[in-house]
Amino acid sequence: MGYNSCFDIIGPIMVGPSSSHTAGAVWIGRAVFELLGEAPDRVEITLYDSFAETYQGHGTDKALLGGLLGFDTEDVRIKHAYDHAEEINLIHTFILEESCPEFNHPNVAIIKAEKGNKILEVGGASVGGGLSQIFRINNIKVEFTISTNEDLKKVVKYKNA
Amino acid sequence: MDIQSTRDLLDYCQRENKSIAEAMIDQEHFKSGKPKQEIFDMMKERLEKMQRAVNEGLEDASEAPSGISGGDAVKMRAYIDAGDVLSGSIISDAMACSMATSESNARMGVIVATPTAGAAGILPGVLFSLHKNTDLDLDKLVMGLFTASMLGYIIANRSFISGAAGGCQAEVGSATAMAAGTIVELKGGSPQQAVHATAMAMKSLLGLVCDPVAGLVEVPCIKRNVIGTSIAFSAADMALASIESRIPCDEVIDTMYDIGKNMPRALRETALGGLAITPTGKQVKERLFSKTKLVKQLKGENSDESQNNDNGIKTASGVIPDRE
Repeated sequence: MGYNSCFDIIGPIMVGPSSSHTAGAVWIGRAVFELLGEAPDRVEITLYDSFAETYQGHGTDKALLGGLLGFDTEDVRIKHAYDHAEEINLIHTFILEESCPEFNHPNVAIIKAEKGNKILEVGGASVGGGLSQIFRINNIKVEFTISTNEDLKKVVKYKNA
Repeated sequence: MDIQSTRDLLDYCQRENKSIAEAMIDQEHFKSGKPKQEIFDMMKERLEKMQRAVNEGLEDASEAPSGISGGDAVKMRAYIDAGDVLSGSIISDAMACSMATSESNARMGVIVATPTAGAAGILPGVLFSLHKNTDLDLDKLVMGLFTASMLGYIIANRSFISGAAGGCQAEVGSATAMAAGTIVELKGGSPQQAVHATAMAMKSLLGLVCDPVAGLVEVPCIKRNVIGTSIAFSAADMALASIESRIPCDEVIDTMYDIGKNMPRALRETALGGLAITPTGKQVKERLFSKTKLVKQLKGENSDESQNNDNGIKTASGVIPDRE
């Protein structure tokens, strides 16, 4: 479902170890970064189902933080995302849940972010092969996918949502 | 133009007298509006990254942070260099290149997802072995990536390519099936033969569960990538011998979807079943995660201190509640 390009299949170029649990997670964090135009001050990230069960082994937490810091999927700094988050005082909390009631997929993350007085909430599912589907921005139901830097333009459209 | 089945694909190839790789480039050009040369160059960049991961992985004997993988690609290469390999140079080189890539992936090195990172070893393994052992140059390998992506595109849109959604059959199964068809086309086989190879490779991996130890993309993922290359060559050789899959490729892909839908959650990348819950698998998980928890705890303590600091400096606090 939703694969549009040969580069959705051969790609992304990424740091390991998992396209769905690492690269896809970078895109969900990155969507928040693009909407804010910069890294947030504080985030609360809820991981569901397979994300919650295996985030440690897959570096899903590091990948989401990397995305929130504006990193690309192939940025080797993702490996040390906690240190980079600390450098800019990005406060982060992870919450682990079972299946997501809002979106039927095992790899879902919902990010609540704050930057100054701006509050933002983004829901995304990493559906496989490094392709992520954003399904909600604040209270607006959306439906678009991100698997390349070019796709990030789709996010920016919702900047005033 | 949007090819959604191998039936559509073969019709297109026949009508336009094109290869599968050319069909993919046509479709990408049609859908994205990008010039064909730009599309080719983008794919070439991916091939170059794959080559780098292979080369680095073949030299790197270090362990992954988990301590449960790493060093095997170097062992495989030494064994090949000793000159008495049972499976011949094409397959053994593919095994070494595949292992090198998957080990790099486990170290959080840079790889190319093909179609996923968990299955990222198979295509580079097959391609760089063909490059070393036959006269296929890098540009031909780029065309091979277009063949692979067309086959993967059909699989991904009809079924799935992630272990969490459909088990390992969707990852290593899909990658092996894509690689089998790619080998056939690179060896000059027809689109029909490539599609038969795809079907035969996928059939042999139907039902394979995703059961990574401690949720890491290492055990058994790395070795499944390595062995996937052998299956890809076997399926390709059968197809090139004009052996056909008795079940059409589209039906095999749809079967993969049905099986994945019926697969218990414990066997879909949750690390709650299969090899992940063997006594050894559980021990690994315990050892690794007790270590992580300790680090988190220490971090939390530090940040509490600094939050109480009069300067009001807040440091990051990674609070991860214990689920047990």
